[in-house]
Amino acid sequence: MPTVAMPDASAPAVAVRGLVKHYGAVQALKGIDLTVKCGEIFGLLGPNGAGKTTLFSILATLRTPTAGTACVFGRDVTIERDAVRRSMGIVFQEPAIEQRLTGRDNLLLMGLFYQLPAARARKRAAELLDHLGLTEAADRPARTLSGGQRRKLELARALVTDPSILFLDEATLGLDVDARRVFWGEVRAIAAAGRTVFFTTHYMEEAEIADRIALIDSGQIVALDTPRALKARVGGGVIRLQTEGDDQARAWLIERGLKPEAGGPGLMLVHDDPAAILPDLLRHLPVKVLRAEVHEPSLEDVFLKLTGRGLEMEGAAAPVRGPGRGRP
Amino acid sequence: MIRGIYAVVVLDLKRAWLDRARLLTGLAQPLLYLFVLGAGIGGSSRMGGPAYQRGIFPGVMGLSLLFTAVFMAISIVFDRQIGFFKAVLVSPLPRAAIALGKITSGAAQAFIQGLILLPFAPLVGIHLGIVNTAEMLAAMVLASMTFSAIGVAVASQFTSTTVFPIVSNTIILPMYFLSGALYPLAMAPHVMQVAAHFDPVAYAVDLMRGALLGTYFFPPLLSFAVLVGLITLLSWLGVRVFSRGEDDSVLGATGFRWRR
Ligand SMILES: Nc1ncnc2c1ncn2[C@@H]1O[C@H](COP(=O)(O)OP(=O)(O)O)[C@@H](O)[C@H]1O
Ligand SMILES: [Mg+2]
Repeated sequence: MPTVAMPDASAPAVAVRGLVKHYGAVQALKGIDLTVKCGEIFGLLGPNGAGKTTLFSILATLRTPTAGTACVFGRDVTIERDAVRRSMGIVFQEPAIEQRLTGRDNLLLMGLFYQLPAARARKRAAELLDHLGLTEAADRPARTLSGGQRRKLELARALVTDPSILFLDEATLGLDVDARRVFWGEVRAIAAAGRTVFFTTHYMEEAEIADRIALIDSGQIVALDTPRALKARVGGGVIRLQTEGDDQARAWLIERGLKPEAGGPGLMLVHDDPAAILPDLLRHLPVKVLRAEVHEPSLEDVFLKLTGRGLEMEGAAAPVRGPGRGRP
Repeated sequence: MIRGIYAVVVLDLKRAWLDRARLLTGLAQPLLYLFVLGAGIGGSSRMGGPAYQRGIFPGVMGLSLLFTAVFMAISIVFDRQIGFFKAVLVSPLPRAAIALGKITSGAAQAFIQGLILLPFAPLVGIHLGIVNTAEMLAAMVLASMTFSAIGVAVASQFTSTTVFPIVSNTIILPMYFLSGALYPLAMAPHVMQVAAHFDPVAYAVDLMRGALLGTYFFPPLLSFAVLVGLITLLSWLGVRVFSRGEDDSVLGATGFRWRR
């Protein structure tokens, strides 16, 4: 058992090696390796059922892995639980504030649970509430707050103990686009202040704010890189088509020497110069085109290209595909 | 550890304060026993109404403490369903502090409920002097701790609040009826007297009866030892059960199970 008392300054914020988690017959994680650097914003992007919450819960010391190790600042999450817990601030997928108490009380209670000196907890709570624009709402029962305010309160709750790393699991679930933008603005500010952020999401727009993203699918990391590098894997641009006969259209494209991606809703075609070939396609496709779209590659495209399905689909239900599939 | 227990107690008392109306509604049941059941049964027995009411007052106090403490223990099952507890679980608080904090806060709430009932004692002819009140308060503390420890030990075995009425009816009520709370144990059939020796509620009620009325069924020192021993044992069990629950994978994301 390691006996280091101080966090290892050279250790990465998160180091996960060969992590496996089984729930009975369900293999939720099938051997995850990843490293999050100190000060980094790291995103874990994948569809529902991919295993994000499972990985998150293991890092949060709430679940024990079946095999493999996970360390936070060089400390094993199963062995040095208390030290790991002290270093983390956590926002769960589900609400974790006592709805009947006021926001401020929730923060002060957290201070008690982390044994902060009362004066410091009060000061820190006031600062955070002020910073997050919650001062007005802070002394009402938490259940009377709006969805966005409540999520910000969760953020404040996670931050009141001044953690070195912030963990967020689908933290904006159920928020509208505006509230989500505000929320991620706050997270970015937190990261700018030098904290490490590890978050999971199944919204690709959210993942964009990360310095690096791991794409997770069916318990495996299928790609890990910066958003730009990931998108560069798709290259050029993307044409998406919805037709009256996708199979027929696909066959026709392949006949023409084009390479539509396997699977996915509709047709996805990666091309160096999509705008140039689109008119031609529309004119000559033997089936009626219902919808055509040309865009820069998005993370969704990357995911589709690597796994053969979209992010909005239920991951566990779809067939498992190897990470190499569909690569150019 | 002490600060951890304190944190849990503060959380629970803050929550209980929101339900402070319950302190008054919680008074209804004991008063019914005392002034309706007590007057009725007493009036139709040889003892006479006032004497009977006087005799059951410590038992009714036991009822109040027992049901308040056990009801508070349900909050553990609730806690696992509300999210805030997850935040507590990922805090560096020792699991033992959560268990002991729960027992303490349940006891505190039961004790407060008991304090509200105590002033009714003179109404049934019990004189509250300094010495017997002090004795009574000490007995109430012991009884509250015992009942709370029982409640927590029982509640931590369950993951759903719906089983609670069953538990209450199959464990708590029999313990209560057997305890001699509503009749003098000394006059009960021999079988029940023997059975009462295995009923912690009996010892607690007997201590309170002794404090208020001066007559003990068990030697007070024995009662004291039994209760302290039981509190220790159940706290230790509670700590163990709470410490085991490091993996909630058995349930979905929102449920949390102490035991694997
Ligand atoms: N407690 C559990 N018991 C059994 N299976 C579970 C449990 N939690 C999650 N799973 C399964 O593990 C897989 C991954 O789930 P999860 O980690 O919640 O995914 P995500 O957070 O990416 O949606 C899913 O197939 C899910 O059904
Ligand atoms: Mg999830």
